[in-house]
Amino acid sequence: MNTFYVSPEQLIKDRAEFAQKGIARGRSLIGAIFEGGVVLVAENPSASLNKISEIYDRIAFAGVGKYNEFDRLREAGIRWADSTGFTYSRDDVDARALANYYAQHLGDMFTEGQKPLEVEILVAQLGSKIRPTKLYRIGYEGTISDENRFAVLGGDAETIKDRFAKTETLDVDLASTLRNAVSALAGPDRTIPVSDLEVCVLTDEGARRTFARLKDERVTELLG
Amino acid sequence: MGLPLFDASSDPGPSFFHFASRAGIAPQISDGGLDLPHATTVIAVKFDGGVVMVADRQATSYYIANRDVRKIEAADRFTGIAISGTAARGMEFIRMAQLSFEHYEKMTDSSLSLEGKANYLSPIIQSNNLHTPLVVMPLLAGFDTNHQVGRIFEYDGAGGCYERSDFATIGSGSPFAEGTLRLGFKTNMTQEEAFELGALALYEAGDNDPSTGGPDFVRNIFPMIVSITEEGFVEMDQSEVGERFRVINERRSQNLGIAGGTLR
Repeated sequence: MNTFYVSPEQLIKDRAEFAQKGIARGRSLIGAIFEGGVVLVAENPSASLNKISEIYDRIAFAGVGKYNEFDRLREAGIRWADSTGFTYSRDDVDARALANYYAQHLGDMFTEGQKPLEVEILVAQLGSKIRPTKLYRIGYEGTISDENRFAVLGGDAETIKDRFAKTETLDVDLASTLRNAVSALAGPDRTIPVSDLEVCVLTDEGARRTFARLKDERVTELLG
Repeated sequence: MGLPLFDASSDPGPSFFHFASRAGIAPQISDGGLDLPHATTVIAVKFDGGVVMVADRQATSYYIANRDVRKIEAADRFTGIAISGTAARGMEFIRMAQLSFEHYEKMTDSSLSLEGKANYLSPIIQSNNLHTPLVVMPLLAGFDTNHQVGRIFEYDGAGGCYERSDFATIGSGSPFAEGTLRLGFKTNMTQEEAFELGALALYEAGDNDPSTGGPDFVRNIFPMIVSITEEGFVEMDQSEVGERFRVINERRSQNLGIAGGTLR
């Protein structure tokens, strides 16, 4: 067998570059906490290949990068949540545990997989009496961070993050959070048509399930 | 449990039951042999604009095991699922059905058609009933949003699924309920007529079947009455159910316990 020595530093660097390139090619997504819940906004020209999805009663998923890769993670997340709730109780399904499983899997794929996954994902949890409202951001290499205000994934995340941070204030309503998020995604010289936006929220209206996908008309109305 | 990932060839898809069986969290088959509590009479009646479901509240073994069991549950907003047979398996079955429909919805971002839900349950019933004496006989009724009409699906012991065009009844009290339904059913009934007929049929079952609990005026526990229309699944308030059964009971008392030649 013919093997060449590659230093671990080089290997990690190559893999990280590979994953970053894949993720940066796609469009971005913002998850933000507002006074009434969590809003997830993605720039997505496709109306059927979703980036954002319901996972459980108070948990949502969002992914950027390669669709087939994050969609598989989304499905695994729904299975994990439904079977945990079925085995124990609906109250025992915790976004933090799910985020940790995602982090483990992405970390394993990064170091041991044929290639790292070219995805970044966000697990959002709407708070309840027993859990806080949280955004868990999981990177392609398995790093996990919990964000108390907002998270930006994919594309030119750093620039968008700076733009959104400038406008972002705590305790604002859905309409202004959404407006800020959309203008941060678009940047100064561009407007994103409503049909290219995917907007979902987690809001407590008294029902067990809190996830809702907002229709174009509703998004237009909110953007004013 | 870790993250349940599958490769494309072994992926169970949006079916929660198939995934749960593989993961070992679906109920396992056993040969039982115990005399476990069983649930009894459930009725579904079609009317113009939806369906009405009525069920008694009693779980029975040698003695009355429970007086306030809920045998009808909303499987989702437009679907009601009811059980008769072994209570333990029935409750498990309701949970599995509810979760399966929700699971499908989340996985595919679209909900199953009512007929799809009815067919989905067939193999689950079959695998339970053909491998254990702990038989479960469910009844599925709902409002078909695709066709804007109420529909009722009945099952046989082997999981065969049959759509009924008028009414259906399951459980040990069903022969008595069926008699009343046969005489009283008309096509294009109003919701109010369906409520009345369903309540009367359940009253008859409670009157003649020892395992069916009729209205319990002592404890104020009354059968469940629900309607499923384009407005969704709505359960009638227990005080209103009580009032309806009080009226039937009064009429019967005046007639020394017999219907007296008419449906009332």
